[in-house]
Amino acid sequence: MRLESRLVWPKRLHWEKYFRPQNIPEALKILEEFQGKARLLAGGTDLILQIRSRETQPRALVDITRIPGLDEIKLEDGAIRIGALVTHAQIAQSPMIREKAMALSEGASKLGSPQIRNLGTVAGNIVSGQPGADTTIPLLALDATVKVRSKQGERTVPLTEFFIDTGKTVVDSTREMMTEIFFPPLAEGESSVSLRLARRKALALPILTVSVVVSADMKQKKFNRIRIALGPVASTPFRPREAEQMLASASIADGMIKEAARKASEEANPRTSLLRGSEAYRREIIANLVERGIRKGIERLEVKHG
Amino acid sequence: MAKEKIQFEVNGKKVFLEVDPDELLIDVLRDHLGLKGTKAGCRAGECGACSVILNGRVVTSCLIPVMKADGGKITTVEGLEKDGELDPLQKAFVEKGAIQCGFCTPGMLLSAKNLLDQNPQPSIEEIKVAISGVLCRCTGYQKIIHAIHSASKTIPGNEV
Repeated sequence: MRLESRLVWPKRLHWEKYFRPQNIPEALKILEEFQGKARLLAGGTDLILQIRSRETQPRALVDITRIPGLDEIKLEDGAIRIGALVTHAQIAQSPMIREKAMALSEGASKLGSPQIRNLGTVAGNIVSGQPGADTTIPLLALDATVKVRSKQGERTVPLTEFFIDTGKTVVDSTREMMTEIFFPPLAEGESSVSLRLARRKALALPILTVSVVVSADMKQKKFNRIRIALGPVASTPFRPREAEQMLASASIADGMIKEAARKASEEANPRTSLLRGSEAYRREIIANLVERGIRKGIERLEVKHG
Repeated sequence: MAKEKIQFEVNGKKVFLEVDPDELLIDVLRDHLGLKGTKAGCRAGECGACSVILNGRVVTSCLIPVMKADGGKITTVEGLEKDGELDPLQKAFVEKGAIQCGFCTPGMLLSAKNLLDQNPQPSIEEIKVAISGVLCRCTGYQKIIHAIHSASKTIPGNEV
């Protein structure tokens, strides 16, 4: 938030109409009628601020929180499925997410504050398109896919193809709605971790968020494969593919892990920032946190296997 | 702009209201219902002064269009006192000196209330997380944490 926008922070906000559709087609119809001048509202933790700072000035709000069936976390057809209205608090409190997708549990439980976690949704966090979003980074490492509905029908988009630029995704939020996020639950021999560095533990944007999914054969002391997601280190949530490649089928050894973490830091593109520090500092902490994340992932596999 | 008719339960009482569709919960509580215990601070969801409990969860009322709360159940700081008797949390705040200027107190109390409702015997760490959404610039937090911890021990069944 820029200072100058805070200086004209209005008490009263304005929109003309407030709709509460009972189903998805009804919501999409209202979006269409308002031709780009209506916005979907779920948690509102981003949208209300954007209206206050006049970043967006919708004529109508479409409150989707009364649409039934979108607030569930379930394991169905071999995938963990998160409805569009599931909040960060629900994720953080879910024993299934803790067991089968720890990285997401850790990401959701560090986002914002209890108040923000009680309001904000995972779907909103993703669709806001921020490169360091606390639940986006673990979901990218967990290889998640999202379902998007429009009047033309439904499409599925893997998160790896979802982000275009900071604040910009393949979803046109003036006529489409994300309805579900799904990903495979972690299998035997897999673990996941999220680590976060911020100025303070609550209500601070991350300097860096790292999520790692490790798949390894602990008997052979070998990685099968590894997925790493980072943010914010580029204009979109980032996967350091070369670092991931280096560890595919590699033996679990200190030198190798360090080298891959160093590679991840080279692949990333952090810029010097007043909030997040110099480029050199940011590259150091990327290497550091990636290394720590991989080690922690291995530790978790060791614990599992006694 | 056409007014909308809504109703919700505030501190155990049903209220029926006519509101503009673009009003926020915080302003309806303060300006329509006179519940000024809910403080307006940053209006950006960052300071927690406007916290209320809505349908069993503590939330920042500055981020909630009032229409979204239609049909809901709300507790503000005014609702903590029962029949002239302060809530154990309020008593503990007074006894432990957990209040200085008082601006954050409603948000702290409701954050703590929401915690104890779900987890009657929290650890110090859990208390810190529970109040992490409310900023206090006077007390340094220690006395607030102690007050909540001591109130948790007064919940029946928790006496040690």
